[in-house]
Order: sequence, then C-alpha cells, then structure tokens
Amino acid sequence: MSKVPSEFLGYARPDGSAGTRNHVLVLSILGLANRAAERAAQALPGVLYVGTPYGRGQYGDDKTAHRDQLVGLCRNPNIAGAVIVGADRGALEGIAHLAAASGKPTRTVALDDTHEDSLDASAAAIRHAGELAHAASRLRREKFPASALFMGVECGHSDATSGLVANPVSGACVDRLVDTGGTAVVGETVEWLGAEHIVAKRAANDAVAKAIVDAVLRREQAVARTGQDLTGNNPGAENIRGGLSSIEEKSLGAIAKTGSRPIQGVLALAERPAGKGLYLMDGPSFSPESLTGFAAAGAQLMLFTTGAGNAFTNAIAPTIKITGRPDTARRLVQQIDFDASPVFEGREDIADAGARLFELVMAVASGAATWGEIHGEGAECFTRIGASM
Amino acid sequence: MEITWNAIAIDPADGVAVALRDLTAGEKVIVRIGGKVETVTAREAVALGHKIALRAHAAGEPVMKYGARIAIATQAFAAGDHVHVHNIKSARARKESK
Repeated sequence: MSKVPSEFLGYARPDGSAGTRNHVLVLSILGLANRAAERAAQALPGVLYVGTPYGRGQYGDDKTAHRDQLVGLCRNPNIAGAVIVGADRGALEGIAHLAAASGKPTRTVALDDTHEDSLDASAAAIRHAGELAHAASRLRREKFPASALFMGVECGHSDATSGLVANPVSGACVDRLVDTGGTAVVGETVEWLGAEHIVAKRAANDAVAKAIVDAVLRREQAVARTGQDLTGNNPGAENIRGGLSSIEEKSLGAIAKTGSRPIQGVLALAERPAGKGLYLMDGPSFSPESLTGFAAAGAQLMLFTTGAGNAFTNAIAPTIKITGRPDTARRLVQQIDFDASPVFEGREDIADAGARLFELVMAVASGAATWGEIHGEGAECFTRIGASM
Repeated sequence: MEITWNAIAIDPADGVAVALRDLTAGEKVIVRIGGKVETVTAREAVALGHKIALRAHAAGEPVMKYGARIAIATQAFAAGDHVHVHNIKSARARKESK
C-alpha cells in the first residue's frame, strides 16, 4: 500500500497549522446577535455563518466551556479569518482577544457600536467579511505532510455492522494517520461505557488510564441520577432497530474506531491536544455536539461511521460518511462518501479498506468535496453543561 | 473469497453471533468464529445485524460478545433464539445502579 499518499494540499495559517478548507467565518457569540450575523453571511456567497442560542446567564464551568467552543471554532485551521458579532463590546473583546491569538485576521461588530441597530451591525459585518473573503481568496493550497492533519472520529445511527466493519475500518485509517505522525480524537464518553477496561489498557500512562475510567464513571453516575435507564436513549431507537441491545454492546463496537495505537490523553470539551497521536475527548454522545467539540479543538476533518445512515456533518471540518452496510451504501448514494460494505461481504479486508479510506482522507483534506459539503448539510451545535442564571 | 457462513461470532468466548443477512426460522445457520465454523438452527427469524444465541443461557447469566459482557439475560433462552432487548438487559448505567 505504498501508493497511499502521505501529504495533502492545505492552506498555511500564521500559527503553522494547515487548513483543509478556507472559510471566512461570521460568528455570533450570543443568541440575540444571531440574525444580525446570519444576515451578513447570507449576503456574501461562500461565507460561513455559525451562531449559538446561548451566551448570557451562563456562569462557572458552563460559561468557560461555551467560551472555549466559540474561541476554538475561530482558531480552527479551516478558518481563514473571522468576523465576531456580539452585543456588548466588553464580552465581545474577551472572545476576540483569545481568537486573535491564532494570528488570523479577526474583526468584531458589537450591537453596542450601532446603538442596537441590527441592520447597521449586519452592514458592518458584511464589509468586514468582504475584506476577509477578498484576502482569503488570495491564498493558495500548498503541500503539508499528513502529520499536519488532526482528524475527529465519530459514529451516528450505529448498528451491528458499525462495530463489525465501519468502525474497525476507521480504526485502521486512524492507525495509519497516527503512524505518519498525525493526530486523531474520539469522543462520546458514554460510548466507552462497558469497554473502558479495554480502552484504558491502551493508555500511554497510568494517569491517562485513570482519566478514562473516571470519565466513564462520572457519566454513568450522572445517568443513574436521572432515574432513567440508558437503554432507549443510548442505544437509541435506531440503534435498537439495527440490533444493538445495550450500551456495553454499542461501546465495544464503537471503540473499534479508535484503532489500536496508545491513547495519549483525555481532552476536555474543545480542548486542543498538547501533542500528536491519538486522544479521547470527554464529551457528549450526541454527534452534532461531539463534532463541534472536535472542531473547537482544531480538527480539520472528520470521519463519521453509520449503520442505517446519518446525513449530519460538521460545518467547519469536512465530514466523511462511512458505512459497512451494503443496503445503506446502495440506498444513500449521495450521503455515503466511503463504502466499506466490501468488507462486510468478505471481498476486502479491514486493513485494505483502511488504506483506501486514508487515500480518501488525503483527497478530501486537499479539497475534494464530501456529499455533505455539496448539499450544505454542515452545522455547529454547542454543548451546555449547566443551567442559566 | 466466497462467503460460506451467514453469521459471525467475534470471539471464541461469545455466546451470541451476529446475522450477516436476514435469517429465517428453521434455517441452518453457519457461524464463523475466528478460523472455525459452527452451526446452529435458527428457532425464529433474526434480522441482519441482530444476534442469535449459540448456546442456551439461564436468566441472570452474562451474555458475551466481542469477548466481553454486553448484557445480562433477563429470561432463559435456547441456542438459535433471537437475542435482543426482549431477553437481555444492560448491566450498566441503569436506574437500579448505585
């Protein structure tokens, strides 16, 4: 498999990272500025809008987690520059200051500055985003080693074929990326539950092993406190239809997408990895939130495995949809980017499919569009971990 | 490579196999377990991706897949039975848990 490429064409960023995309972002940092920001982005073809329903009345860890997600998305290598839209200038500057640490152009628009005139705020954001788009279009892709890639790995609407085929194939691709010096992250803490003893054995050291087991126990206790069973929620209805009976069964299949390399650390939501290699993220199991956590940590590309199918993709990082289920691959021709069903049918082995997937990863990193990008599926979904004041 | 089996068990310790296609009641099911092949007769229909018991389980017995416990049997079932949420239950993150 020496023909598998070991480099991709990316956009060089001031902090040394490589974008697989070249988005100009208009980011609203709180719900009441969303329309002003969205209107501006809609005025400029190709400019990406991301908004949050939250941003006021948050405190403590929840406030910090919300800030980390906003700042992290701006700093993602796929963003060429960002216009950050908020209400009061003080809060806006707090976010913008952290976002600007990436060295990328960052502009701000506060409703304060326009005396609460939302249309004037949109007009200002249009002019800023226009300038950033003009500058971004002058950038050209250049060669980067595969080691410059940070890949998020997710699953959604899993069934029994996910654990048998799509997840092990993704795991083989993750192994290949890690072996070339790249970085990968797998989240959804609840989906290590029942498999944490196996995952923890791959921890790089005892502290990481303990962090893995502790993260699972915290989630398990949080679920138990709700007075509800996890079954029916995770595994959800579509998982159960697909043959998964329990969270342990789902987890044992889900962890296959981590591959087989040592686990270097457990990241908090939106936390950037300190080094290269394989990481876990202690985060939500709902895939839209999980993917936003990865993007905020800096992932420039996502793998997303599915059994029955699942159209959702991340807005900032191209998301490669993978299934091992033959009827899903046949039915969802404009959703599934990578058909792993030859493995299910015994016509291809997992290592070969993993190499084939890695080839697609390099092509998508270099600009080949995913179906989700063509159809404009992408969105960001912010996680909250506390109630409002 | 031609497939000669229609279900797969991942680990020799597993008490259940995964159907690789829809299985019908009374059908002789060929199960691949590692390099070996075993047969079991399906006592009921088992859909693709769903589990079929390789041996009888008593109520309360752990159910193994991937060489690990995936659930506890909530009622006895026989080899060839469909194994799913009607006869097995997660042992983790339940309201009964401490």
